[in-house]
Amino acid sequence: MLQQGALSGIKVVEFSNQVAGSFCARLLGDAGADVVKVEPPKGDRYRQTGPYPEGSFDPDWSGLFLYLNSNKRGVVLDIDVSGGRSAFLDLVSAADFLVVGENSVKIERLGLRREKLVKTNQGLIVTSITPFGLTGPDSSYIGDDLIAIGAGGMAYATPGIPDMVEDADLEPPLRSNTYMSGYLAGVQGAVASVAALLSRKIQGVGCEIDLSIQEAVASVMPFELAHASYYEPKTRRPEIFGVMPNAYLPCKDGYVVIMAVMEGHWRNLMDLADNPDWAELEVFASGVERARNWDALEPLLLEWTMAHTGAEIAQLAQNRGIPCFPAYTVGQMVDSPHVNERKFMRDIEGPNGKKFKLPGYPVRMEKTPWHLFRSAPKLGEHTSIVFEEWLEYSEQQLKRMIV
Amino acid sequence: MTMLPLEGIRIADFGQIIAVPYTAQMLAWLGAEVILIESRERLTTRIWPPFADNEPGVNRSGGFNMVNSSKMSCTINLRDPEGIALAKQIISLSDVVVENYSSGTMQRMGLGYESVKLLRPDVIYLSLGAFGRTGPMKDLVGFHSVINLFSGLASLTGHKGSHPRIMGGLFPDAFSGSYCILSLLEAIYHRVNTGEGQHIEVAMTEALGTLMPEAVMEYTLDGTEPERVGNRHKDKAPHNVFRCKGEESWVAISVDDETQFQALAKTAGSPEWASDERFATSEARLKYQDDLEPLIQEWTVGLRAEEVVDRLQKAGVSAGRVLDSAQVLSDPHMVQRGFVQFPCHPEVGSRPLGAFSWSVDGEPPGVVRSAPVLGEHNRKVVQELLQLPDDEYARLVDSGAIS
Repeated sequence: MLQQGALSGIKVVEFSNQVAGSFCARLLGDAGADVVKVEPPKGDRYRQTGPYPEGSFDPDWSGLFLYLNSNKRGVVLDIDVSGGRSAFLDLVSAADFLVVGENSVKIERLGLRREKLVKTNQGLIVTSITPFGLTGPDSSYIGDDLIAIGAGGMAYATPGIPDMVEDADLEPPLRSNTYMSGYLAGVQGAVASVAALLSRKIQGVGCEIDLSIQEAVASVMPFELAHASYYEPKTRRPEIFGVMPNAYLPCKDGYVVIMAVMEGHWRNLMDLADNPDWAELEVFASGVERARNWDALEPLLLEWTMAHTGAEIAQLAQNRGIPCFPAYTVGQMVDSPHVNERKFMRDIEGPNGKKFKLPGYPVRMEKTPWHLFRSAPKLGEHTSIVFEEWLEYSEQQLKRMIV
Repeated sequence: MTMLPLEGIRIADFGQIIAVPYTAQMLAWLGAEVILIESRERLTTRIWPPFADNEPGVNRSGGFNMVNSSKMSCTINLRDPEGIALAKQIISLSDVVVENYSSGTMQRMGLGYESVKLLRPDVIYLSLGAFGRTGPMKDLVGFHSVINLFSGLASLTGHKGSHPRIMGGLFPDAFSGSYCILSLLEAIYHRVNTGEGQHIEVAMTEALGTLMPEAVMEYTLDGTEPERVGNRHKDKAPHNVFRCKGEESWVAISVDDETQFQALAKTAGSPEWASDERFATSEARLKYQDDLEPLIQEWTVGLRAEEVVDRLQKAGVSAGRVLDSAQVLSDPHMVQRGFVQFPCHPEVGSRPLGAFSWSVDGEPPGVVRSAPVLGEHNRKVVQELLQLPDDEYARLVDSGAIS
């Protein structure tokens, strides 16, 4: 299938050693751009991390690599040697975008700042995604997802809703076991990139985007920041919104979240619990009162939740329009009829017929729909064809750049 | 000031609570004129804490003001046919409509995509749902915690041997919102090129599904469900959060390779760690992290977090402070980079807000103005935009269509 979409005709070069930069470039490819991933001769780091369909190392079938690099073509260049570097600069001179995912010290060392790259290409947009940005007192810091989730404020804010934590003050701040900050910064990098493309339509020239992963994390916490900005910072014991119940509670067979902060939801919830006498108490009369008196309310609600399974509670509550859900495992999500009917997961066939799934795309666009146009490139799969197509390289030139 | 990328774009914002308000706010920052359609009869975040200085008031909510800045507020009673007629007039003059009501609500009001397309054939219309607008669970309601639990993200989050945890920061709203922003910018770019509008549908649960390719792959290969590992990592050790000197003071440390570990050992004044056979290689450290982590904590707990980070970063080890939300807003690095903005609000004054995670050529990519007071722009929208005469405006206010 021809790669097409809102960004058809846009050329992107990716140079990335982290999730954020690679995911950003993938999203541009998802929107139809021609994305060329530049890998060093030893290959991208996520070729080494798996998981692998057959359980054993295979750089062409590492799950994270496949996921981050679909809808791209791949070339191999050693930009530390002159032939590779000049080929890289040629590629960039023919591109609309250079997406860089690295730390700022390495970006400076490699000369990947826009001012050094635009001599012949004023339209170039450089999207730089770094742990702490290219400027500012901490810009030379290196970091990965753990560092970003901590420095962006999210680890401290976890758990995010009232939870059965014995003593939140004793429990260390927590990261989720995913590259959450990388995906987030990747989406925001794509946002910044398409915004820059719209600006280029108006102004006629490109620009340099300097995105900080730390700030990407901090930017998705408006309510946490609002607490610090408007009244007082929340303590480690979370009281989200200051209205209750919006809580994560144990039930007969696991955990369930119930959000009944609005009066209608609260009344419906009390109906389900057979309207106990305490439901009418003045101290539970509003969401704010219920938050203030949560220590008294929580054990009363627990009596009800502990008498039912998560699925029962969710069914009862959702029938009354109350946001409520039991804790699912990844498998329960993947196997749910809902996910299947919406065809969110995509089927992949690996070596020796091994079948597995990877997440698809969460947005359905009527006129510019997402497709899996191509799977991730094998190492160096498109080196010749890209240089021929983009730059009309001769065979001799091709030979010179190959290490 | 150069032109902003979305200047000239008008957006009718029917967003509820966080995800779509957050989406429309970013578009407002990028230069779009965003008309927030509010209902005095059904206020949500406006009446939820935190309030400025803990004094309640519809214009004093930090939660509201930090996801609705730079917008106009127009209070229309959507239960009144004349209110619906006004909304339709606003839509007919808008380029983009965004909404995240429960499935079917916009249709019941006559404001669904098919109806809106008749008013404005090139409209870009985005609907976001907790579970999306199709599939057996489309009518289920869910806020961030529900999305966390359904998607399986919570099952990847938590301390070893403990229960699933919900990440802080309303991540599902802002992350799915970031996908909404991306798809809207792509759709606007497509419309600039082709004149064609379109419908966009986003499911919050699927946005979260895009965070966990490895877990999905492993489950679908052989049924393996991920274990909760706290702050640890499958390939890196040490990779955790450690206590520092002082109350609630933490540092995140993540070691990528042998060089970094040797630097860590030396910086901690214990170069012998690097030659200890339990810690000499990544594989060994992964196996013996229970032995290693207390040694590191013994060192960090005697120092302030800033000192630990400074020393480790100078030695080339990735480390970062774990910031709380007040520290995020006062962080010299993020303030200097322009992440923290100070829009001045007529009722609550100048309060710090977390804005863009990126800059463009060293400048913020947009303009952050204060959030509107309730109904602030009724007259401007109805009289200047819709060009209704004074007496008609007065009549609509009297009848309650403008509330």
